Amino acid sequence: MFVDLSTIGLVWPEFILILIAAWIYVGGTLAPGRTTWNVLAWSTYLVVFLVMLKNERALWHDVAAGLVAINGPLIVDYLGQVSRYGCLLLGLLITMIASRAGAERLATEVSGTIMMLVAGLMLVCRANELVFLFVALELISVPTYVLLFLGRADRASGEATVKYFFLSLIASAMLLYGMSTLYGVADGTTVISGTAEVPGIRGALDRLPAGHTSLFLIGWVMVVCGLGFKIAAVPFHFYAPDVYEGTTNINAGLLAVAPKVAGILALIRLVLAVVPADAAWGWPLMWVLAMLTMTWGNVCALWQQNLRRLMAFSSVAHAGYMLIGFTVALVAPAAGGVGATLLYLTVYALAGLGVFAALAYLSDERHEVDGVAELAGLARSHPWVAGALAFCLFSLAGIPPLAGFWGKLALFTGAVRVVLAGDGGVSSWLLVLAVTGVLNAVIAAAYYLRVIGVMYFTAPVTRVAAPGGMGAMLGTLACTLLVLVLSVWPGLAFRMADAADPLLRQARPAVVAAWRMEASAAFAHDGDLAGRWQKGGD
Amino acid sequence: MAAVLLPILVLIVCAALLSVGMFVVAQLLGPRRVTKVKQMPYESGMDPAHDARRRFDFRFHAVAVAFLVFDVELLFLYPWAVANAVVNRDQQGLARVADAVAVPMWSPGLVFAEMLVFVGLLSVGYVYAWRRGVFRWR
Repeated sequence: MFVDLSTIGLVWPEFILILIAAWIYVGGTLAPGRTTWNVLAWSTYLVVFLVMLKNERALWHDVAAGLVAINGPLIVDYLGQVSRYGCLLLGLLITMIASRAGAERLATEVSGTIMMLVAGLMLVCRANELVFLFVALELISVPTYVLLFLGRADRASGEATVKYFFLSLIASAMLLYGMSTLYGVADGTTVISGTAEVPGIRGALDRLPAGHTSLFLIGWVMVVCGLGFKIAAVPFHFYAPDVYEGTTNINAGLLAVAPKVAGILALIRLVLAVVPADAAWGWPLMWVLAMLTMTWGNVCALWQQNLRRLMAFSSVAHAGYMLIGFTVALVAPAAGGVGATLLYLTVYALAGLGVFAALAYLSDERHEVDGVAELAGLARSHPWVAGALAFCLFSLAGIPPLAGFWGKLALFTGAVRVVLAGDGGVSSWLLVLAVTGVLNAVIAAAYYLRVIGVMYFTAPVTRVAAPGGMGAMLGTLACTLLVLVLSVWPGLAFRMADAADPLLRQARPAVVAAWRMEASAAFAHDGDLAGRWQKGGD
Repeated sequence: MAAVLLPILVLIVCAALLSVGMFVVAQLLGPRRVTKVKQMPYESGMDPAHDARRRFDFRFHAVAVAFLVFDVELLFLYPWAVANAVVNRDQQGLARVADAVAVPMWSPGLVFAEMLVFVGLLSVGYVYAWRRGVFRWR
């Protein structure tokens, strides 16, 4: 694996983010002040987003045509491209919501740390190498520890931070152990998806004699465990309720979204990419994980009185739905399971963030909104917040025709499509999975509707103040609007998610994998395709 | 063979002489006052056997972290310097390898720039810790 200037040319946005984040850290000590640095952070995301959009027009054109380039530790494809922009948007939303987070003196630490985390997320989007992927995941975990610590200075918050820290370390160790096993089995290859000249892990495995898969299986399962912690899949979910409950609403929102996005992307990039085509052991594991995760998450959420605990179990349940997509992808790669998962992830991230943004708007460092009962009468005291909260909760519940419904529809129809096309054994298992998913959506509706009922049909117990500030309100509105756009106009999202599905792309005939891309490609505005992409085999 | 090993042998002999010599000279020339504190394993006055749940000044922790930053920095700089020297010495050999796997040759300038970025980011951390008063012993 060789790195040259063209690789740097591909990751310049991440470089800029890390540099600005470092500047925010140091600048905050020189010139304290929350608003100035928040505005710098917001404009950084916006400017990077716009400049990327302007400079990468040619790159967009190429990846939309189905081209894939492998450059050093990076893989440049449609999934990486779309998800990077999504991560920038996520960073902007989280920074908005967290614009009043933490103590005044340490305000710049919050926005700088979020920017580091976003850089890590963007690197995960295109990671194609074991060490690179691990370091990018750590660039998400370490800022998360810092943010949890900055959240609030009391016992519960400290306990939550320490719990997350140690359990996340164990998960990282498991992930690393699995990765090192894959590295050993694949004959010292660290590149995940390779080309004909430079084989990746999958290519190296194909050349191994039969019977060597047992060790590979151990490594694969360890990786699934490590990433299962990040997406809070049962049985790796047990930290989630305690940590969410102990920390602030803003941090809980961050935890519900950032590690989940990273975990799902890493699952696609690593776990799905290295499975041999004829492996029969992949999908049963995902099947069990999906069944356990969605059922356990939803059933436990039913009797939660603490809002963050409820949302924690709900985020566990949503991870379970997303694992349905992975099960489908492992049974039938061309059935579009990954695309459905990506669509679901987008919808979930926006609606989940919207819920926590609304809760953050109702809270400040003196008082966090905790109990479901505290929301009583919110529809009368703050009709807009109650409306946005209800809208996001309806979307999470999957009430048609909101965005959450389209996500669930994509996941369940993926499973059903395999059932209809499939043969005996596997398809009946997938039918069970799809039916369980639908039943779970019904269970989930019960606890989401309970919260909405409290907001709309109960007399207020205490007066709910809204000290969260302008940023949190804007964040709530932005998330709600984005969910609304996805609800009324899901076609584009469906198409983008399908185009981003790497397994579907491999199933299509005209696939060109290029080992190297010219340095100018990231900056070129137009030009012919063949000149810039040196074609290789797949 | 002997010519290669001779300097190492000389080094071993010198090291042994120096360490034993220091003990001997200290025994012969040094004053000796036996007190209770001096008989302890650590002469710094810290009780070596105590309850594990003893309170510990947080300032030590901050200093330890700051030390670790520079420690790790040096740890990276050594192998980088050695590897970079090899790269500069064996340009042709590496170019052959690069040709064989059909990838471009890396440039020494890039390797140097990478280390500059690393040192630069650490310096930012240093300035940050300084401004936040980590080195102020209050």
